[in-house]
Amino acid sequence: MTKLHWIILGVITLTSLVAEFVFLADYPNKHWWSYIPAFYIIWGFIGCVGIIYISKWLGKMFLQKKEDYYDAG
Amino acid sequence: MPVEMMIPPALYMIAGAFILPILPKNLRAGIFILFPMIALAAIWSLPDGYLIKTTFVNYELILCEVSRLTRIFGIIFSLIAVIGGVYSYHQKEVGQQSAALLYAGGALGVTFAGDYFTLFIFWELMAVASTYLVWARRNKEAEKAGMRYLLVHLFGGSLLLTGILIHVGHTGSILITRLIPDGSVSSWLILAGVALNTAIPPLHAWLADAYPKATVTGAVFLSAFTTKSAVLILIKIFSGWEVLIFLGVMMALYGVVYAVLANDIREILAYHIISQVGYMVAGVGIGTEMAINGTTAHAFSHILYKALLFMGAGVVLQTTGRSKLTELGGIAKKQPVTLWLYMIGAFSISGFPLFNGFISKSMVVAAAGDAHFDTAMLLLLLASVGTFLHTGLKLPYFTWWNKSKEEIIPTKPPLNMHVGMAMAAFFCIMFGVYPSLLYNYLPFAVNYEPYTLYHLTESVQILTFTFIAFWLLRIKLAGEPTIAIDTDWFYRRTAKLVERVFVDSVNSVFDYTEKISIRVVECFVQFGRNPLAIFFEEERGTDYHADQHRASTQLLTVLIVLSFVLFALVSLII
Repeated sequence: MTKLHWIILGVITLTSLVAEFVFLADYPNKHWWSYIPAFYIIWGFIGCVGIIYISKWLGKMFLQKKEDYYDAG
Repeated sequence: MPVEMMIPPALYMIAGAFILPILPKNLRAGIFILFPMIALAAIWSLPDGYLIKTTFVNYELILCEVSRLTRIFGIIFSLIAVIGGVYSYHQKEVGQQSAALLYAGGALGVTFAGDYFTLFIFWELMAVASTYLVWARRNKEAEKAGMRYLLVHLFGGSLLLTGILIHVGHTGSILITRLIPDGSVSSWLILAGVALNTAIPPLHAWLADAYPKATVTGAVFLSAFTTKSAVLILIKIFSGWEVLIFLGVMMALYGVVYAVLANDIREILAYHIISQVGYMVAGVGIGTEMAINGTTAHAFSHILYKALLFMGAGVVLQTTGRSKLTELGGIAKKQPVTLWLYMIGAFSISGFPLFNGFISKSMVVAAAGDAHFDTAMLLLLLASVGTFLHTGLKLPYFTWWNKSKEEIIPTKPPLNMHVGMAMAAFFCIMFGVYPSLLYNYLPFAVNYEPYTLYHLTESVQILTFTFIAFWLLRIKLAGEPTIAIDTDWFYRRTAKLVERVFVDSVNSVFDYTEKISIRVVECFVQFGRNPLAIFFEEERGTDYHADQHRASTQLLTVLIVLSFVLFALVSLII
């Protein structure tokens, strides 16, 4: 990831925030999370981190086994 | 109706499976593609309400029943068979070619079946034909996985058949109609049988077990037919069953968790079939017109992009001989065409705007919101984070971009593999850019617009920050040389215990009984050879000789006769 890539991501994020707070300011809120500002940013980031850590934790706890687990029987 | 038109579309494919072996080897791959093209044209031309009926015993069978719902499934099954045929053009083994056509024919048969008997026949045909696509890899792993795949599907077929028989016994009808959730045993058995093919956990492990071990070309067909034809049957029979919302959301997340742990690239894709089919199952459970439209559209999109993804992974396997993240990397510059065609599939499954996943997955999610299943909607959005994380980021990053431990020089793939991928990629983009091309053919009139500012903003924010989180934590997602145990543990790990209880113990009883039987027979033989052996131990093992044993035999006979006379006299006196 170069600086340019981060700048592009920043511009995309800012554009989406402008869309959310300016053009969608009067959008009818259908769900409880619609009242949380930048909810989908939070959900994307926290969700991704959560998926990685919870899955890895489950793997280390009891799911992951050696590749010859079934053959070693 | 002209007589020549009274042919169920499935028969075009099945006929192809039997015609191919008698054709010259060099022509087979080209002619293979003709059969799904003919089926596609036939399905396209069949009007709504078209029926082919026949009578079997006392029951009326509906071999083909065309509706808007079945037609759209029939079209995509035929189309993907054409694309799969192009992708496997270089593959000359007639067994695989015929099996693929039989499998596609089975899928079309299931799609258009109007009664349970027809459904069951084609259901089992799919199981048998698809098993060959696993076995055709011809290694020990594939052989074992294929056998497990076949046994599990036969078990699922048995559940389905039992449910059907009970249902027919109670209602007297074999026609496929929507069942109400009345808690009857037959309904639950039919649901269990269909759920197994839909890969709903815990009946799903066959998929992630067998698909990664199938042949390069076979996996493309496998990814398209079994689960999606089962989704169609769910729509026909179980739409509106709310338990399916729970199961669908659960499987959407289940596949995501396991995809984190998977090391084999085709296993990652297999777990994401389970995840994506979860959206469809949830849509069936919601059961509204919008949800059924979303489920149908997503099945259509999914078949295209998932086949494309499996094709990309297949090219990697074919050209490097490797399929594990821990053994791959550093080949992005060596196979840019494969990479970017794969990425079109990845953008599609992740729901990027202008790709077909964007216009179909969102319809299911929106249907959940409209029907006030807020939690389900939120969790489906979470699953889409996982989809982008694995299929769009983890897999391509560690397969193509990340540095490998050793330099990998991929061979050049056959041109037809890229042509097949390009065809699937074209349709992924075409339906993403022009959603009405798909929406106009969905079962119900569509009242949904995917390209709204709200939806675009939502998607951009989720995708951008999923990428940022991935980039920060990408080291944690590096492949590990491990496997993750799944529900197949119960029949793989416990196989030895089951063998001990149900095979070894039964064998011991048989062995013991056999020994006793032999001993008894030996006694009779001994008695036949020399009856004196019963009374005199020294006579055992010897044969009876009249001269040698005359005296003792006479003595014994006299004793027996005297005993009898004595006994008779005593009884008379008393």
